Amino acid sequence: MADLLVLGIETTCDETAAAVVARAPSGAGHVISNVVRSQVEEHSPYGGVVPEIAARAHVEVLDIVIAEAMRQAGIGFSDLSGIAAAAGPGLIGGVIVGLTTAKALALAADRPLIAVNHLEAHALTARLTDGVAFPYLLLLVSGGHTQLLAVEDVGRYRRIGTTIDDAVGEAFDKVAKMLSLPYPGGPEVESQALRGDPERFAFPRPLFGRREPDFSLSGLKTAVRVEADRLAPLTDTDVADLCASFQASVVDVICDRVRAGARQFRDIAGCGPTALVVAGGVGANIAIRLALQKTAAEIGTRIAVPPPALCTDNGAMIAWAGAERLARGLTDTLTISPRARWPLDPSATGAKA
Amino acid sequence: MYILALDTALTACSVAVLNLETDSVVAGDSVFMERGHAEALVPMVEQVLRDARLHFSDFDRIAVTVGPGSFTGLRVGISAARGFALVAGKPAVGVTTLAALATPFLAFDDSLPVLAAIDARHGHVFMQMFGTGGRTLIAPRIASTKEAARAAAMGGVRLVGSGAGLVADAWPPGEQAPVSCETLAAPDIAWIARLGAAADPATAEPKPLYLRPPDAKPQDRARIARV
Repeated sequence: MADLLVLGIETTCDETAAAVVARAPSGAGHVISNVVRSQVEEHSPYGGVVPEIAARAHVEVLDIVIAEAMRQAGIGFSDLSGIAAAAGPGLIGGVIVGLTTAKALALAADRPLIAVNHLEAHALTARLTDGVAFPYLLLLVSGGHTQLLAVEDVGRYRRIGTTIDDAVGEAFDKVAKMLSLPYPGGPEVESQALRGDPERFAFPRPLFGRREPDFSLSGLKTAVRVEADRLAPLTDTDVADLCASFQASVVDVICDRVRAGARQFRDIAGCGPTALVVAGGVGANIAIRLALQKTAAEIGTRIAVPPPALCTDNGAMIAWAGAERLARGLTDTLTISPRARWPLDPSATGAKA
Repeated sequence: MYILALDTALTACSVAVLNLETDSVVAGDSVFMERGHAEALVPMVEQVLRDARLHFSDFDRIAVTVGPGSFTGLRVGISAARGFALVAGKPAVGVTTLAALATPFLAFDDSLPVLAAIDARHGHVFMQMFGTGGRTLIAPRIASTKEAARAAAMGGVRLVGSGAGLVADAWPPGEQAPVSCETLAAPDIAWIARLGAAADPATAEPKPLYLRPPDAKPQDRARIARV
């Protein structure tokens, strides 16, 4: 059996991305090309992603990004085994652009369409980069999502915990915004934190020690605001110390919640996870990666974190998830709908905490 | 010589294949649709190609409406057209909904001007005025129905489009009334194909014509003062 060659298209938020990925019958994969065109400049004046601006930017450049991914891969559309696109969840205007383009490519090239759940793509990336076996514990942390999941197989996800309010990446962005740091805020807070004193402010550790592995970030964000208001006008040192203390609190909370998640994982899976996988844009944060390395050792497993370029939104993860589904004969029809909301575990209800 | 035409910019989902030598529609379909274009368009193309017994390699180009119209709708058509074009290695060309609405009237008789007007909601229309030879008299713009009527109120105007009736209702008193008013919801797909065939791919790019900026304002709220 030959390798599967899949084109992946990602347009659910503010990156227009396309990539070609190969998957061998053994399950091993590698990225052949990976092109990302970020919209950071378009959204920067607004301090956040504006859905209509995102959709407008995607339709202007997506075919160019795809052509570049195909050129770098050195293949034609007839060489592909399938065409995958993120069909949600995400900003619907962008999802429509990516999925419709994929449908057109699939029809014109006479290749199967694979409609991929964006979260599933994040969840499966560690199998591409680290060859992780099922079942594993997944910490999915990005600007839009904060979840702990038991990943049992392709298409089988059980949500163990989620956030009650803000996503971790969202909290980073909001803190950056209140401190007038440039957009996007997450990496800015991280670099400020490097220079700051993580112990100057004793910010709360919401839900720390609770049995249910859920998250809450809103109170922490408010505590930062209260402290910043008290200090205003802020010096550069204040800003760095606020960022460092905020990040230290987030790190403590994440590690504690992952420990709680690992206990839950054992209860439902009957065994320990083969790995602790960290996915999503927040996985690019070095402090969080390092702290989770220790946590993984504590819970008796290894950590697998895709490289930063595959943690943030990209086409390779969509192509890979498409290849994993295609290898199991899972394809979709040209009538499939784009979806703004699409939970990985449809049986999961709200946070229990 | 064949051309594939797509339109999802307004309240229809339409696909047609035009044979340029015979100026005949080989196969086509058009369904009234307010939403659901993202699901309907590509399967409709598949069926029309099957009916026409043609493949993408048979087309000289792909024509698509670029708006003005529903932002989401026009992005569905443009995304599909650009995707088809990428695989087929043929150009995709953009046709405005306003030109596609007005052209059949101008082709029949271009001695009287035509105002194409599309309902843009909240008392506004997307509009363009055409004169002799299809020449643009008023460039595409968004205007209140009152402004549109005032600008268009010249002798013997014909109105066409989903906003035609709205403009007619706002006609200034004392001005010569429009000679005709056709409240068409969407353009004829065969005319989109013809306009696409006549267009210059270098200038008629398959890019959206929104005529309305995105609804977004720069935010500076919630920032704490810094030294």
